[in-house]
Amino acid sequence: MKETIIIGMSGGVDSAVAASILIENGYNVEAVFMKNWDEEDEEFCTATQDYKDALQVCDILDIPLRSIDLTNEYWDKVFKIFLEECKKGRTPNPDVICNKEIKFRAFLDYALELGADKIATGHYANINKHDNIFQLIRGKDSNKDQSYFLYRLDQSQVSKSVFPIGDLNKKNVRKKADELGFLNHNKKDSTGICFIGERNYRNFLKKFINPQPGDIVSDNGDVIGQHEGLMYYTYGQRQGLGIGGGCGNKDAPWYVSEKIISENRLVAVQGNEHPSLYHSFLTASNINWISGIPPTKNQNITAKIRYRSKDTACKIITQSDSIIVEFNAPKFAIAPGQSIVFYNNDICIGGGIIESRSNSNN
Amino acid sequence: MIYFDHSATTPIHPLVAKKVNNINRIHYANPSSIYSEGRKAKSLIEKARTQVANAIGAKNTQIFFTSGGTEANNQVLWNKLNEEKKHIIVSSIEHPAIIKVLKNIERYGITASFIPVNKNGLVEIESVMKLIKKDTGLISIMLANNEVGTIQPIQEIIENTKSLNIPFHTDAVQALGKIPIDVNSLGVDYLSLSAHKFYGPKGIGALFVKNKKKIQSLIIGGDQEDGLRGGTENISGIVGMGLAAEIAIQNQQTCSSHLKNLEKYFLDNLKSNSPNIICNSINNLPGLISITFPGFQSDILMAKLDRKKIAVSNGSACNTGNIKPSNVLKAMGIKNDLNLSTLRFSFGKNNTKDEVDKLLNALKEII
Repeated sequence: MKETIIIGMSGGVDSAVAASILIENGYNVEAVFMKNWDEEDEEFCTATQDYKDALQVCDILDIPLRSIDLTNEYWDKVFKIFLEECKKGRTPNPDVICNKEIKFRAFLDYALELGADKIATGHYANINKHDNIFQLIRGKDSNKDQSYFLYRLDQSQVSKSVFPIGDLNKKNVRKKADELGFLNHNKKDSTGICFIGERNYRNFLKKFINPQPGDIVSDNGDVIGQHEGLMYYTYGQRQGLGIGGGCGNKDAPWYVSEKIISENRLVAVQGNEHPSLYHSFLTASNINWISGIPPTKNQNITAKIRYRSKDTACKIITQSDSIIVEFNAPKFAIAPGQSIVFYNNDICIGGGIIESRSNSNN
Repeated sequence: MIYFDHSATTPIHPLVAKKVNNINRIHYANPSSIYSEGRKAKSLIEKARTQVANAIGAKNTQIFFTSGGTEANNQVLWNKLNEEKKHIIVSSIEHPAIIKVLKNIERYGITASFIPVNKNGLVEIESVMKLIKKDTGLISIMLANNEVGTIQPIQEIIENTKSLNIPFHTDAVQALGKIPIDVNSLGVDYLSLSAHKFYGPKGIGALFVKNKKKIQSLIIGGDQEDGLRGGTENISGIVGMGLAAEIAIQNQQTCSSHLKNLEKYFLDNLKSNSPNIICNSINNLPGLISITFPGFQSDILMAKLDRKKIAVSNGSACNTGNIKPSNVLKAMGIKNDLNLSTLRFSFGKNNTKDEVDKLLNALKEII
């Protein structure tokens, strides 16, 4: 009998095309729309339109579309943690947790319960079975590769997952969607917290955390401006600091180098080559190795410290509950709360949450 | 697909469908026009008005057509803004077309009280009487509930409130064709109907008004429907509703006993297969039952049945799938976990015992 694959259909173009590829490959395909946020929150939640987009796709593909309500799970396991991290002035990545706890846990359980053999999503990544280990591989489109967001998955999750568009690039995905008549073929990509988008981020956060404005100071302690609340800023941030002219060198832009939570102060430095923006060591906790096995000491590994950062060669110095990582060259703007994700060439081997950074190994 | 969701909507009766098609093709003239085709269209509407009136024991002058039950309910409630007495009493298990409207009109000075129901979903007369105030201008209680099917003792309630001269509205959308309705013996002042719940077309409904002077237009425009509902008439819908009402009344007794038989057969067998289930429907409309499956989530049960091409509902899910506990079951005192383990089965005249067997077998596999 044909394998049944239940695909998480978001209303976006990636999962839509992923579904069409599964059908072409002869699978029995069904779609599920995940509701992770209460759509009565109309200001920020686009679920009603997303559902309609998903329905149009499923109508063309002639596959069933059902809904699952994961709003409680999302709130408890993703959003609460996100808020706690924001309050601590860290830069959390809710999509990483969402994948681990919602898409590849709650949704996977639901799909298996319904009778699926595997689940699929529209992530740009691949899975390769090697010596009975399911490896997570970077998506072919280096600009879209989403393995970064999937590093917290384990074998029980990766072995039950399929990423049908892992070998495509975004342009071809959109082209295919257009050819198939999907109305979402030119829909904007989601960013940030998947359902909010970056534009609304401040207003959204304001609903949950009362912002505490405070001083922005230079590295020698002079007050050079006002911030609107530490949670709105991240390390290395250049835009939106509102530091006027007349402070320091006129031509060099200011960057966030430090958040001092106890004093509610944001430290900014001038020029992107300022040494306090660079660190060679970091500590990470909550480590996950996708294969279940940590890398060996001599293995060549590279790491990304945020989704859009380039891979940098590094060494894992100590291995226990948390790890210390040393980079071959100092890294710009390492942000606690973000994930460090390790690769062995194109294999995503795992990672952890960044706790702190430093310039010495102690 | 095997369809057990007739409380959501019914398939259109073939004769009604044929009629609707014919009207759309042939009688396209505007009923307000004075030439012969316009007059013909007008007379078709008047015939349908009589058919609907006859179905509920009303005079044809007491019926006007709306876009559906929701609009009919809205018109009754919004009308209270024009009147002096601005307190409205409704049952706590009304359809959103009552409850949500009240929330909306509160800002214009309307106040609302909600009548609790007992654990069987029944409105008790004393509970109504307790809520009546000097400025109570309307009582609205549904004739039968859409989620659990409870038939409310409208006649008895009105006998008790009659001397107070408080206008009484009933949402009878679920009831027509399943139980006899007579507006005079009920004693109501307003009654809402919707055609697609009794094998008629969608997008058409009617409001019975005992005294047309006691209501104003909600959709304002032309003088159609005696000035009570502006907008060019939905002729095919109206004619379809008329015919559907006539057929529903003719077949009401046979249909109801068929539905009762199916319901009993289903319930008896289900209970012997799964003794744990709880039936939430007592004194209910024929063929509409709410059943709780302790330990099972209703959304997963629905999805599993859907995979077997069987359509049922949990009565209260919105279209993007946010599953919220049903307010009706909540009002009946059913706790959240059981609330979210509840399905609604609503049988229809075309359902067969064979189909119910398939449902029983499917549930046996799932549970």
